[in-house]
Amino acid sequence: MMPAPLGSWSMSFAALMLGTILAVIVVVPFLPFYDPFEQDIMSGLLRPGTEQDGRFYVLGTDFLGRDMLSRIALAGRVSLMIALSAVAISLVIGVLLGLLAGWFRGPVENLVMGLADLQLAVPRILVVIAVTAVLGPDLITLTILLGLTSWVSYGRVARAMALSLREREFVLSATTQGAGTGWNLRRHVLPNVMPQMLILSSYELGQIIVIEAALSYLGLGVQPPVPSWGLMISEGQQFLEVEPYLSLLPGLAIFMLVAGAQFLSQRFTPEGAPDADLAAMRRRR
Amino acid sequence: MRAAALEVAGLSKEFHVRNSSGWGRRALRAVDDVSFAIPPGRTLGLVGESGCGKSTLGRMIVGLIPPTGGTIRLGGETVRASRSAAERRGIQMVFQDPYASLDPRMTIHEVVAEPLRINGLYSAGKVDRLLTQVGLSPDAGQRRPAQFSGGQRQRIAIARALALDPRVLILDEAVSALDVSIQAQIVNLLRRLQRDLGLSYLFISHDLSVVRHISDEVAVMYLGRIVESGPRAAVFGAPAHPYTQALLSAVPSVHRRDRTSRIVLEGDLPNPLDRPEGCVFRSRCFKAAPRCATEAPALAALDGDHRAACHFAEPTPRDRLARLAPADRPEEKTASKEDHP
Repeated sequence: MMPAPLGSWSMSFAALMLGTILAVIVVVPFLPFYDPFEQDIMSGLLRPGTEQDGRFYVLGTDFLGRDMLSRIALAGRVSLMIALSAVAISLVIGVLLGLLAGWFRGPVENLVMGLADLQLAVPRILVVIAVTAVLGPDLITLTILLGLTSWVSYGRVARAMALSLREREFVLSATTQGAGTGWNLRRHVLPNVMPQMLILSSYELGQIIVIEAALSYLGLGVQPPVPSWGLMISEGQQFLEVEPYLSLLPGLAIFMLVAGAQFLSQRFTPEGAPDADLAAMRRRR
Repeated sequence: MRAAALEVAGLSKEFHVRNSSGWGRRALRAVDDVSFAIPPGRTLGLVGESGCGKSTLGRMIVGLIPPTGGTIRLGGETVRASRSAAERRGIQMVFQDPYASLDPRMTIHEVVAEPLRINGLYSAGKVDRLLTQVGLSPDAGQRRPAQFSGGQRQRIAIARALALDPRVLILDEAVSALDVSIQAQIVNLLRRLQRDLGLSYLFISHDLSVVRHISDEVAVMYLGRIVESGPRAAVFGAPAHPYTQALLSAVPSVHRRDRTSRIVLEGDLPNPLDRPEGCVFRSRCFKAAPRCATEAPALAALDGDHRAACHFAEPTPRDRLARLAPADRPEEKTASKEDHP
């Protein structure tokens, strides 16, 4: 991963973006006005900051008069839940396959890398569209599909690291002292691979949120009336020329989460990773 | 006579490497019929230039690479190819690079405790004793490798190697990565541990002065074979093999008398895939004769335990090495370049 050449002001900005959107997702559902589903045609398409019938709409309302702030908060929960679960699934698959490929090499490696190439040859959005067309759109199916189709980057990096770690002297030393494959993988390889995997996963999280948004926009992901950010953009599209905020606000939410997470992840150099010795020295100096 | 702590006989390793054309494979003899014995409490220094097979030899003995031939005996008992935990415990290794040999994610206590945990022998007190034994404070256990210098890390690696109470330590370039002043400290630590624990060392190095300092016996390796071996005084005082003579003449010296001449070898180590027929050293030897191309010299005894693998072996006191300088050679050798495709 790239070290962080970015100055601290941009880091603070990234943290501010991420913090704001996370605060919206977490706090808004506890506020008294929170109701993402209640429709009120009479107060539809209110602009952000409008007051009507004694109620103040911070982010306005959509064409059915539903409170935008509430919907963005709920949509964030849905999107994050899908993305986090999918990342967890793909992380486990990728790390497992990658470590086995890098450690055992030979046929195992060929098989895993063949699978990875196969996976890369077929765009994952296409796979999801095809399977959804057959099984019908469903949150859990979507999550699992995204998880199953996103393991390649973890797998490749984990394999490359395992290949190098298995020849490291601390692994050889454990072997001469009686450690078997299980011990070495658990005690040495996995702990040294995980920090990079976590950095990768913050990047993948953004990717998956965007893909989920795209699929929901196409009507293949989250189904109404449950909101997701992608779905909200899609719903707002028909009013784009008159009331662009309907699409812009959920788009901004995606941007704040994804960009915030990625900027921050670049800052994060894992403690104690094989290449972190330098970072540690730099910190001490 | 007591059984040697470590005895290897006819140990060989062939790697099979793909041809440059991609078709077929060829055998690379990394280690070729190596035999030696180390008595309890003694040190054998193994010298040779990079790529001569000395690390492969060490890794075979410690069980990281399976040999293709020969036997390894530990305290008189043959070590099987698939080692039991007990057999592994008897021979331990200290690696060259103190920066790569400690897992950066572990504390020092965990590093030293690891071999004990693998074998179900862990106790915190034992780890503290091991750290004290190599001159570190038990408090160091809570810190991580990044917080230690190279010399301290090598002490930690030694403590880890000692955790299973081995009888033999393979020290593979164990001090080569350290500053000279630190080298001396580590060498002294190793000697103290040898005295206290009765350890036998196989000290692998390319550094002649360190080998001379620590070894009882010395073996010189060239292209997978031992070309000269014997007691330190004999090998360093009166080297018999032309390769050893060349190596020793290249050691920097502060005495002016010794500086007068050097035997400079031409060319690089031949490609081990293309070993010279006959004597492996003939392509760079200043004594090479037609006989060397047809007949491989055996490692023959010259004088007691002093052996050399050369048809023209003659023990030569160091101060007379000058006479052997290549300038005196009657004929120029020509074979040195043909081994490099």
